Amino acid sequence: MESCHDGQGVGRYQGDATKRSMPRFSSNICGIVSRITSVLQNHQISIAALPVAEFPLRLSVVTTALLMVTTGAKAQDTGVYREIETKYIFGFTEGSGIGLEGEKEVSTETVAGFGKRDGRYGVSETELEYEFTPNQYVQIELGPLMSTYNISNVTGLDNRNQLKFDGFFTEFRYLVIERGPSSPLAVTLSAEPEWHSADETSGAPLVNYELEAKINADLELIPNRMFLGSNVLYEPETSRVDLGVWQNELTVGASMALAYRITPSVTVGAEAWYLRHYDSIGFSAYTGDAVFVGPTMYVQITAKAFMTAAWNAQVTGRDINDNGETIGSLNLTEFTRQRAKLKFAVEF
Amino acid sequence: MSVTFLHMRRGAAVSMFAVLLVASTVVSEAQNTATVAISVKDHRFQPTEAHAPANTPVVLRVRNLDPIAMEFESVSLRVEKVVAPNGEGIINLRPLSPGRYNFFDDFHQEAQGTLIVQ
Repeated sequence: MESCHDGQGVGRYQGDATKRSMPRFSSNICGIVSRITSVLQNHQISIAALPVAEFPLRLSVVTTALLMVTTGAKAQDTGVYREIETKYIFGFTEGSGIGLEGEKEVSTETVAGFGKRDGRYGVSETELEYEFTPNQYVQIELGPLMSTYNISNVTGLDNRNQLKFDGFFTEFRYLVIERGPSSPLAVTLSAEPEWHSADETSGAPLVNYELEAKINADLELIPNRMFLGSNVLYEPETSRVDLGVWQNELTVGASMALAYRITPSVTVGAEAWYLRHYDSIGFSAYTGDAVFVGPTMYVQITAKAFMTAAWNAQVTGRDINDNGETIGSLNLTEFTRQRAKLKFAVEF
Repeated sequence: MSVTFLHMRRGAAVSMFAVLLVASTVVSEAQNTATVAISVKDHRFQPTEAHAPANTPVVLRVRNLDPIAMEFESVSLRVEKVVAPNGEGIINLRPLSPGRYNFFDDFHQEAQGTLIVQ
């Protein structure tokens, strides 16, 4: 392992892709770290000064700094970086990619939420996913859902410590605007029907049907290097609880995300989500909203395997009770303090 | 009776028109499809730059002249296909807008090429 003394940075990328070796990678990382430190000092930002509870914010600061210092490496590196599938590079925000015709993939994708107003709360849902692309416009995913619940002393929720099979999902994605040599924009429509046998928040048994409909758009800002992503979400659901009454809910939202490839195999970025919740399928019975921000990372592990990770913290929100009063500065009834996503995938 | 017969004739005429329309479309598409042939030998594409007409469906024939398998892959063309040793893979591409579309062999990534659509 090389030491971080020579100041080589990402701006030194030259030559063809076959010459990228670990020493060069590590020296570039060293250069990045030293330049981050320099940028943070120049902007009088002290990561250590941020409170512990704002750790996701620290990562966002680091990510943003990474973006700032690596921007200088743009034009001359275009030939080194191959085209990239954008679907998973933005964290919770999904890119427009639909895979390649003939490609199949198996993956585990876990989304976890942590923290309510009191007590201890950690809930995760894992999709065991099979994904394939039958033609150059359509992608299909399907698989079972597994959930874990670790809930104790949270007001309004029963204590629960459980791992259970939770349902099935399938997703259909259709590419409506394709990126081309003269068009940097790509847009995909997606619809993901889901069936759940337990409440996503409490783990209580029920029957739940959900449709997650999204517009997934991304824009190539620097060829093969920097991308801007955005999602628009409409997610109605209906649940039947013990008494046999159907209850409707709706979550809508929008996101913006920026992703930058700091090496040919590592992409980092940051994203922000705005989410609103209603106790109806229409836009009546508004119960609150939340804003999440956080860093994202995508790593191409091998030619046929990758991982993606994201961590969002709720930075502001409104939690409106039955009397129409706002409680606190975060919405911790419908959402969690923090959420994380981790996905590992293998293509074949 | 004659009204029913008239309806039958009208239905037959509509059906025949539809069949002819579909057939003509198929023939038209078949006539407008371009075929591009490339090969791989010693993990190099030959030619490294292939050409295809814009806005026309393209049939890409990839011959693997090496004794081991290769995988033709392209993100911008949105296709991947494994081609057996000494075999041929046929890939149907959608009509493409003008520009350069890079491709490579995912099993031997030093093999790279470009489809130039004009």
